[in-house]
Order: sequence, then C-alpha cells, then structure tokens
Amino acid sequence: MDDLLDAALDAALTPGTRAAEVRLVAPQRYEHLAVRNGEASALTASTRQALGIRVRRANAWGFATTADLTPAGARSAARDADRAARSAARTARAPIAVVDAHGPAHGRYATRLKRDPFAVDLAEKLAMLTAAERALHTGPEVKSGHASFHAWKEAKWFASSEGARYTSTIVQVGAGIDATAVANGEVQRRSGPTSFGGDFRQAGWEWIAALDLPSLAPTVGREAVALLRAPACPTGTLPIVLASDQLALQVHESVGHATELDRILAFEAGYAGTSFLTPEGRGTLRYGSPLMRIVADATEPGGLGTFGWDDEGVPAAKTTIVDRGLLAGFLTSRETAARLDLPRSGGTARAEGAHRMPLIRMTNVDLLPGGSSMDELLEGIADGVYFETNRSWSIDDKRLNFQFGTEIGRRIVRGELGPLVRNPIYAGMTPAFWASMDAVGDRSTYHLWGVPNCGKGQPSQVARVGHGAPAARFQNVRVRGG
Amino acid sequence: MTRPTPDPIARLADALGTLPAGVTGDARLHRSSWRTMRFANSWIHQPHVESGATVSLRVVADGRIATATTTDLSDAGIGSLAATALALARVAPREPKFPGFPEPDGTIAPVAVSAATRRLSVDAAARLAASAIEAARAEVPDARVSGAVHVGAESITVLNSSGLRRSTERTAAEASVLVERLDTDPPVSGWAEGSEWDATRLDPRRLGRVAARRVPTAPVRSIRPGRYPVVLRVPAAAELVGFLGHLGFNGHGELEGWSCLAKRRGRRIVPPSFELTDDGRSPLSLPQAIDYEGAAKRRTPLIEDGRAAGPALDLVTAGRLGATTTGHGMPPESPWGEYGPSPCQMIVGAGDATEAEMIRSMRRGLVVTRFHYVRIVHPSRSIITGMTRDGTYLVEDGEIVAPVRNLRFTQSVLGALAGIEQIGRARERVGDERGFAAVTTPALLTRDFRFTSATVF
Repeated sequence: MDDLLDAALDAALTPGTRAAEVRLVAPQRYEHLAVRNGEASALTASTRQALGIRVRRANAWGFATTADLTPAGARSAARDADRAARSAARTARAPIAVVDAHGPAHGRYATRLKRDPFAVDLAEKLAMLTAAERALHTGPEVKSGHASFHAWKEAKWFASSEGARYTSTIVQVGAGIDATAVANGEVQRRSGPTSFGGDFRQAGWEWIAALDLPSLAPTVGREAVALLRAPACPTGTLPIVLASDQLALQVHESVGHATELDRILAFEAGYAGTSFLTPEGRGTLRYGSPLMRIVADATEPGGLGTFGWDDEGVPAAKTTIVDRGLLAGFLTSRETAARLDLPRSGGTARAEGAHRMPLIRMTNVDLLPGGSSMDELLEGIADGVYFETNRSWSIDDKRLNFQFGTEIGRRIVRGELGPLVRNPIYAGMTPAFWASMDAVGDRSTYHLWGVPNCGKGQPSQVARVGHGAPAARFQNVRVRGG
Repeated sequence: MTRPTPDPIARLADALGTLPAGVTGDARLHRSSWRTMRFANSWIHQPHVESGATVSLRVVADGRIATATTTDLSDAGIGSLAATALALARVAPREPKFPGFPEPDGTIAPVAVSAATRRLSVDAAARLAASAIEAARAEVPDARVSGAVHVGAESITVLNSSGLRRSTERTAAEASVLVERLDTDPPVSGWAEGSEWDATRLDPRRLGRVAARRVPTAPVRSIRPGRYPVVLRVPAAAELVGFLGHLGFNGHGELEGWSCLAKRRGRRIVPPSFELTDDGRSPLSLPQAIDYEGAAKRRTPLIEDGRAAGPALDLVTAGRLGATTTGHGMPPESPWGEYGPSPCQMIVGAGDATEAEMIRSMRRGLVVTRFHYVRIVHPSRSIITGMTRDGTYLVEDGEIVAPVRNLRFTQSVLGALAGIEQIGRARERVGDERGFAAVTTPALLTRDFRFTSATVF
C-alpha cells in the first residue's frame, strides 16, 4: 500500500501544488441483511475500493478518485486532481489558507471489538433476523414485519505531503426491527430500538447480540397495532418530554448541522443550506437554556463518529459546541478554521470513502446529561405529550423552523405517562425551543445513538454520525396530530 | 494491487456460466464518469473528477435470492462475487414467487445520448460553472453565487443466465445556480436550475442570469400561514410529482399497504387535464433504454384521464403480485433493493398556460420557486412537509407584489394535485445530480395549498 500512496503523492506534487493528501480505502465492506414478512428483503454484500487524491494549489482545490488501484491508476487520478485544481482556479478570489494539522498524523486506529461481524456465520445472523421478524407479527393487523442488520468495515491508508501517514480500520454495526400495522385505512409503523435501521455502534457482533431483537419484537408489534386505535395527538401549546432517541435527532438537525462551519461560511449555500449562526456569535449567542451543554466528541468510545484522525489528518478531538446555553464552538476543517483565525481544526473533515472529498461532518455531537430522572422530568406536567422514535423530520435551510413527527406519543397526565396518541408532531424555532428546555434527564435516560444516513455534499455523501442524548423536558411547544 | 480485467463483461458471463446446477442469476456492470464543479461564495470550491465501475451478481438458488457487489474489477474481485452471493443465498428465506430471469426477446433500440456530454473535459465543466458565476454577478454585482455543474455518462450492461444481454448508456448535464443579495434584511435570493442529457444544450450562463433576475428588489414581507392558491414553479412542482412517484407508485408501497393509491387505482384522483407518464425512452426525460434487470424501458401511463394506473414493478414485486415487471427494476443491491421499484423518468403532460397567466388569475396567492427538506409525514395519506426556499412571492390582484418570508407546508400530495386549476405550457426537466431520476413538468397552479408555519427569513 505504501508504494501506491507514494506513487500517488509523487504524481500529485506538480509545480504549483502546495499540498496533497492521498486516501486509499481497500476494502470498504458493507453487509446488509434484511427479512421482510419471512422473505429475504435484502441480502447484499459489497466491497468498494478507491483511491482519492486532493490537491491544494495557491487558490484552488482539486479532487479526483479512481477504483484502479495500480500505480498507473494512481498517476491518472493525480493528473485529474491537478487538472481539476487548475481549472477551478479560473474563478479563484483569494488564496486558500489552512491551519496546521496539529502535527503530522502517524499511527494506527482500530475499532475495539469482540467478534468481527463479517466473521459471524451468515446462518446465525439470518436466524436472529428471521426470529425477530416473526415475533413482530402479534396480530392480523401487522401486515408487514421487517428486521435488518448492517455492518461496515473500512480499512484506510492516509498519507499527505506534509508527512502524515496513518492507517485506520473501523467496524460499525447496527440492527433494528419495524412493524407496519394496517386497519380501516389507518397505517402505523413502530420500530425498535429506534427507527432508521435501529441501534448502531462502532463495535462487533456483540453489540447486535446484546440488542436481543427477538425479545423486543413482540412489544414493537403490539405497539404498532395499539397505535391504530389510539386517539390523535392533541393540538395545543404544551409541555413535552422528548425521549433520548428523538432528542438525538433534534440535536442532529438543530445543533449539529447548524454549527457546521462550512454551512455558516456559505460553502453549502446552494444545496444543504446555510445556518442562522454567524462566526461572531461564538461566545455570545444564546443558543438555549443554561441546562444546554453540547460537545462534539470524536474520542467517545463506540460512537459512529469516533476515529483516530479525520480525513485531513487532524487527530480526533472533543470540542465544546454549546456551554451552558451559549454558543461556544463550531464543527471545523483546516480551511474553515483558518478563515476564523482559530488555532486549530476541530478535526471534523470526513468523507464517505476515498471516492469522495472530505467535508465537515458531525462526529458524536452529544447533549450532556443533566440531573433529572424520568419521573422528575414528568413531574409537574399536568397535561403534556411524550414523544419517542422519529418518523418525519424537516427543518429550514438555516436550521431554524423545524417540524418533527414521531412514531409514538403518550399523554402526560398529572406527572405520569398516560395512554398512547398517534401521529404526534411538534414544531418550533431552534433558539426558542432550546431556551424552553427546563429539565434534562440524568445518565439513566442517556443513550449514544447512531445516525447512519446523514446526507450532505455534491456529489452526495452519506455519513454515519453519533449522538448521545438523555431525555429532556421543554415548555410551551406547539403540538398537534398529523 | 490487482489489475482490472480488460473485459469485465466476459468475466461476468463466465461467473454466470459456472454457477452450480439449478442456480440462476443476473449480473450488472455499471460504469460511470463524472465531473462536478461545485461553486460557493462565487468561486469553484469543490471540483470533483470521478471514474468508476461497479459489478453486481444476483443469484437465485432454490428460490433463495442474494446479491454481491464490488468495485474490484480484477479477475479475483469478479470471481469472488459468485461465492459471496451463494453463501448469502444458502441461508436466505425462500422467495417462492420469484418469476425467474427473462429470456432475450429481441433487440432494443438505443435511446438518445450525447457523445459531447460523455467527452466534456474537466476544464470545459469548469468553464460552464464559471459562466454561471459571471452571468449572475453581471446582473447583481455584489451577489454571492453558489451552485454546481455535474456532467457525466453512465453505462449499464445487464446479463443473465437465461441468455439475456443488454446495454444502455445515459448521459446527463445538470446545473443549479443560487444568487443571494446579502445587503437586505433578511437577505434575498433567486434560483434557477437545468437538466439535459446533452451538455451542449445546458446553458449555465442563462441559468445564472435567470437566477440573478429573480432576486427580489422589493422588501420582504411576512404573511400568515394558512391556505393559499399557489403557482408551483418547475422545481417545486417536480418535487411534488417525485413524491407521488414514491408514495403512489412504488411497488413496495403496494405490497406493504402504505401506498396512497393502493385502494384508489382506476378511480379519478386528479383533474383529467393532469396526465402523468413514466417514459425511460423519451428525450424529454433523461433516457435510459433498460432497467437494472435488463427489462426494456417503455412508456408507462401513471395517471390518465385523472385516474391512477398500477404501481411500478420489478421481477420480485411482480412475482409477489402475480403480474409482470414494468421495467422499473433498481439495482438489486442495497439501498435500492430495499427502496423498491419506482418510476424514475416521470413526465407531466403540458398545459396551455404561461406563468404570467397563472399569476394573473390569482386574486391573492403565492408563487413558490422550490422546496427544501421535504419529508413524509403520513405515507398512506400522502402528507408531506417541507419549507419554501429561494424565492417565494405574494401575488395580489394578479401581480407579484413582494417576496415573502419562507413558509412551512404540511400538505397531502394528492390533495395538491387534485386542486390543480392550470397547467403550464413550458416543461422543464429536473434531474438528480447524476441523472438517475428525473421529473419533467410544467409549472402548476393549485387552488388550496396548506402552509402551517413561517420562518424568519
């Protein structure tokens, strides 16, 4: 591999090139097994190999990628990257500055795991999924059951003209179940442990085994059926409690994306959008209540956003994003950090693989737990709604106006969880919503979730990111049934 | 490292020919070459050059189906596919209704492709992006210009153990331009986009000019959320139609009961003037002669005389429904296999109105340029939510009077289409960044569109 990296770097360093980075991913393995109604919905194993070269000239970037992992292929990609940078320079407006990578990256990072998911017998995996899917069918109204398992393994080599050279092997897994119940024109879906494929972790098969999906499935199936007959969620301005899984997505959409510095600096304006935040807001802008403490932590064990170095060779870091309700930091890359005269990058430039350019992506963006038990969160709510497991999510292109729906809701009546309500939706504006958070759940309500499908960039990239979140209580939230 | 084999199709044919007795399969070679020039803050910030290929092999063994894919086109890489797929299939649940792989049934005429698009250089792609920036800033000198130009070609070859071997090529050239004026409170913006299968017809300079001229000059107003008649410009109309393709015509939706049309097929759901077809062969779309299972693309009516036709099907869903494939097979590997067959080249029939005529017909209403972050709220009711973006305007007494702060809508797709009063004359194509799917539609005037909240810009 080193020969190939050297060949690529040599070819990339043409006159006028200030720096070059080469990433080689071989292989990037993915296994997806799914069972739907007793039939194989997806049984897929894929391997991808790619080499990506990014070059920086005085005033332009260039990137090229190839799957031809030969010296000739690497040289060809290097020429393409150089050509891309020279062509892009025709629109250049100012020199590109980057902050130091904080010392050249050297070393090896590997996921700590007990059982390699790719080495587990396929029959064992399918037997687990089949048993879990079967157990979802708790009644005739369950028209569709689905159980799925995902595993990724990425072996990466990174080298830069600045002297960095590291290797990384990351293994991530996840599994989940969902039941769709249909009756009298009503359709309800319930998932477990949460939606969008279940519960994900940087770990081995031991994580999947611990989820024990076959035991969880009957509850999921019964709740799908119960939702068919549940009354609609009430409409009004009410106190609400968000379960950990829904609050994780709230953090993702209204804090994680909003604090990406490339969005703030308008480098995503044409596609994903910008942000309501400004660089000047750091240290002064009130994001939410003093109970709000958010970090971006790429060192958190087991997170989907945990790694050794990012795709610019910057070591994994933990950065405070919101401190006691005040905006304290951003998600940054070497270029965006330089634009703000920050001393270093926060190390959040990541790519889907070697076939894509690194972009600012979330690592593990966590809301830190507070001091309230779940009973204490519910206490004092005479009439409210509890929301769990995201079903729909939408937010404007500055990350202000949002509307989220969850699979399940419960009335909160006189401080206790009451009956189910269906199609619950809540909506708000980001700073006002976070300002209304008056209690944060303790460690017993906290869970580190994985979001395996975060989209960004052109060409599109899907990132897997982590979010730790407790449950929390919010006051005066607009609530209604969908 | 291993060297790519010079003839991967022959190697795939070998893999199919050496499957164990009783095992059948199909294979795909998907080659692509793309240049993306992504610009922001009025300069090309992310130029991306990519060439790649993926091969996939799907096997059916005793009714058990599994797929393996790789981008490793060496002999060893392709050779490993059959073993991987067979290992998966051995433990798979049975799919008793799989109809088997189709046999060859004649040749398929090629569809429109563009050699100029295939050959467009990196530098030429950068010039297209630069022309959009220049044109926009010529109109609005201090504007912040963002967007992207994507140009590329993809070829797909499908072969199976019944002897079928078919190929198609798709070319696509797409551009989008956002022009923002930052000296107003809130800032205002204009948007334009275009999608062609022939890059010589793509005119980013014109798109830059159009986007710049759409930047409002009047102060931004706030309006109360509520129900309004709305002119949906092409990007917004295409988004609605795209969601109808998934919510109403996805084969999995039909099987699983969440399709909004599952119990309404054959019934009138929209005005007869609204016609919708899916036509992979039409040069109005981004043509592709076959689907990813080798079935011929053809003109498929989706809504005729206001009535909904059947869902899009592939081999698996057709087998389960006792029907035949409609030529909407996706790549069987994840995530497409799970997404299910959907129409990908939808075309809305043209009407006879101009945008100006639609606006003149409204006493009080809105013009929406495009939507942002649209998500499904309730699939079987076709309810979706999202925001307006980059140009939402208030119409009073037949004239645009002001830009308005963006609004959130929560609206049934079928409800919006049922309320169509006028259909535009001029159709435009809106494609995704690599031409995998496109919607060709005119602007639409719908009488009753529900906005549920507003944002502050």
